[in-house]
Amino acid sequence: MPHTLPGAHAVSRRSLLKYGAAAGAFAAAPGFSGSAFAQARAKTLVIAAPATPLSLDVENSLSLGTIDTVAAFYDYLIAFNTLPDPAVPGVMREDLAANPSLPGGYNLKGKLAESWEFAPDGKSARFTLRKGVLSNWGNELTAEDVKYTFDRKFEVKGAGSFMTFVMGLPNKDAVKVESKYVVSFTLEKPNPILMIVSGHLANPIFDSVKCKQMSTPDDPWARKFLDTNVAGFGPYALKSITRGQQLVAAARPEYYGEKPYFETVIFREVPASATRLQLLQGGAVDIAQALSPTEMKSLAGSAGATVTSIKASQMLWVELNTAFKPLDNAKVRQALNFAMPKDEVISTILQGFGTKMTAFMPDFYPGATSKFYAYDFNIAKAKALLAEAGFPNGFSTTLTYNAGNPTEEPIAIMYQTALKQIGVTVELKKLPAGTFFNALTTRSEPMIFNLDAPWTPDPGFALNLYFYSKSFVNFSNYVNADVDALIVESLSTLDEPKRMTAVTKAQQILADDAPWTLIANPGFHLSHGKDIGGIVYYTSNRLNFQDYKRV
Amino acid sequence: MSDTEPAAAGRSFEANRAGGGDISAAAPAREFCAFLRERPSFLAGYVIILAVAATGLLAPLLPLHSPVDADAKAYLIAPDWSHPMGTDSAGLDIFSRVLHAPRVDLAIALVSTLWAALIGGALGAYVGLREGAGGVRGVLATLLVRVADVVQAFPVFALALVLVAVLGQGVTSIIIAIGVVNVPIYLRLMRGEALIIRNQGYVEAARIAGAGDAYLLTRHVVPNAAAPILAQMSINTGVAVLLAASLSFIGAGVRAPTPEWGSMIAMGFQNVVTGQWWPSIFPGLALALTVFGLGRIGASILAWSNPRERARPSRRAWKAFAGARSR
Repeated sequence: MPHTLPGAHAVSRRSLLKYGAAAGAFAAAPGFSGSAFAQARAKTLVIAAPATPLSLDVENSLSLGTIDTVAAFYDYLIAFNTLPDPAVPGVMREDLAANPSLPGGYNLKGKLAESWEFAPDGKSARFTLRKGVLSNWGNELTAEDVKYTFDRKFEVKGAGSFMTFVMGLPNKDAVKVESKYVVSFTLEKPNPILMIVSGHLANPIFDSVKCKQMSTPDDPWARKFLDTNVAGFGPYALKSITRGQQLVAAARPEYYGEKPYFETVIFREVPASATRLQLLQGGAVDIAQALSPTEMKSLAGSAGATVTSIKASQMLWVELNTAFKPLDNAKVRQALNFAMPKDEVISTILQGFGTKMTAFMPDFYPGATSKFYAYDFNIAKAKALLAEAGFPNGFSTTLTYNAGNPTEEPIAIMYQTALKQIGVTVELKKLPAGTFFNALTTRSEPMIFNLDAPWTPDPGFALNLYFYSKSFVNFSNYVNADVDALIVESLSTLDEPKRMTAVTKAQQILADDAPWTLIANPGFHLSHGKDIGGIVYYTSNRLNFQDYKRV
Repeated sequence: MSDTEPAAAGRSFEANRAGGGDISAAAPAREFCAFLRERPSFLAGYVIILAVAATGLLAPLLPLHSPVDADAKAYLIAPDWSHPMGTDSAGLDIFSRVLHAPRVDLAIALVSTLWAALIGGALGAYVGLREGAGGVRGVLATLLVRVADVVQAFPVFALALVLVAVLGQGVTSIIIAIGVVNVPIYLRLMRGEALIIRNQGYVEAARIAGAGDAYLLTRHVVPNAAAPILAQMSINTGVAVLLAASLSFIGAGVRAPTPEWGSMIAMGFQNVVTGQWWPSIFPGLALALTVFGLGRIGASILAWSNPRERARPSRRAWKAFAGARSR
């Protein structure tokens, strides 16, 4: 019989975690006293994440922490309208359908821009900004802020270089201040995706006045300042950030738009996913990021927490690097596709959190098609294709995976076992996350996992990102002149049917060429307390603090 | 005096030390067996390690599931008759992998310990014999000790991790890394023994008789320092098993899906919190048992090499003695 001291309360591990973590989170957030605890907790969103942001400047980092927090501090010129998710009641998602009746051709709404015009020839756009919008430093939004933001992209040459490229901005002069509240973009070629890329997560508008104040001769674009501070027009201000511990954001009463429900957001670093799970189950946090499929599955019986699963832009695949023999042979790549046990991977390792990947872009993007997909698990066909390719006895190669993603190792082992059946001997190579991404970007491995998403929901953008021969993320070294031409065509005409024809043809060629081993669309899964609502899904797969509320 | 006399003198001296002229190998072995019979906790170590080694050797002959081929339909199955220890998140049979793992774990531990003991022991014997002697050999001996100091200044695990990172993932890299971090241990141990032995009368006599370094090392220093080295080796083998498992646990060890206890624990620990304890617990138990067994073997060698400890009556003998007295 257990011995308990008179008057002592039994302290379970769960209750210890619950109250300990909650108390810790609040103790770390200044301004909370005991009497205000309950009220403050109701208006405070606590998130357990694998890591705090590496940087608060999108030019420096697009780490998970940065992606999840930056939209709270910054605002954008425009954004997609939202509509109810047809598959998940109570969840909203971006309305990606084309709408030729609106300027730019999409269902967009104004954010910092109250109106906009898009030239019929697709070579220029004008944004008229809202008046009286203040930054977290109290400076009013003007066209100079937009100009500064894009000038900075050209000068800093971080993630912004890619943004200016896909927007078709040739140089700094392409962005012009027309008046205090009007700014224009002038392109050399028509760009059908200029408007939607303007609302890309990596295109936040900076408060130029504050940034200029914080610049130094050594750091003319305030990179050091923006690394750990924010200067934006978003709904939250940064209260504090201690890397490795937590970030605290406070809602701004002067924000021009709808006021967020949560007045304070605590974004805590909790490296172990098991601990994040327990904190969520115990009610100490409202959202637990990046749980494994089995952990999410375990929430099914939870009294206070649940998982909201949404069809998302994430894709999981294996890059087949065509620079390595025999992966330069399309039949070999097709064989490798047939040998991937996708259904088993999804039903077991992913625990049903995902769907079979049947297209070379997120299957809900406009123009995406699965009609050329033919790669269901078929060992006999894979063997026949290898024989046709001149490898009846198989070959040896290496498959590299990310130690930081717990699902990749079992998938790799399952794939290795399947490939053994067609005579392909695969040596598995596990790399720590940092080394893994280096191997991925330097294209130094013959076969390597990739988990990524094209954030801009456009087929031309997605194909250009991964399959244009000169793209910096074409990690499979795929080169096909016809695909290149079709991608260029899709990104340089405003003729929607023509665009769709081009991207469809490109996808047909890709299905035959099979530069990837398709695995799954893992989806977006938000593990949260049952009292958290207001969820909106964005194709950048991020959190958006201002959307959430207690229900 | 003929050229062969020093060797003959050495032999007779050793024989005398070994116990009044009984130089048959069977006698100490019998004595050692009796010693173990009297001490069951030491005996348990040998039984465990023999059993672990036997399962490793015989595992490929047993009717088991493949330890490396995933069964996509056997995802995280709890222990049952088909999979006595369940399966992991890749559909691999835990029982088969636990039984196959000693082939890798013990091989890594034994080979890395053996080469570290050989290199470290040889260097240590040389250093002990020559340290402070002056000349180039003396300087070299001092230099070797300082290098060993530097290597030992690094945390063992961190150094092994760096070496594996430099050498690349794989069994060979782990063997080299674990060996490198262990060489200074044997160097220092053997040096200590050699510093004592070199001043013994029989060594002085051999030296005066014209024996060279090689003769002194092989005939006097190494044989007389063997017991502590052997004891250290058995302890180090246990540490090497743990180190190999630790490297694999953090992803720097063997490549998946090689059956290895550390990598198995690493692959399964994520599931413990959601209730699937078996992928981690069974390899963890096997690892703990093996390290315990090796620890007991090390303790037995240490006890055996210490005459006072060897002569001390075991608990069982004490009990028998006390029983007889009470009657």
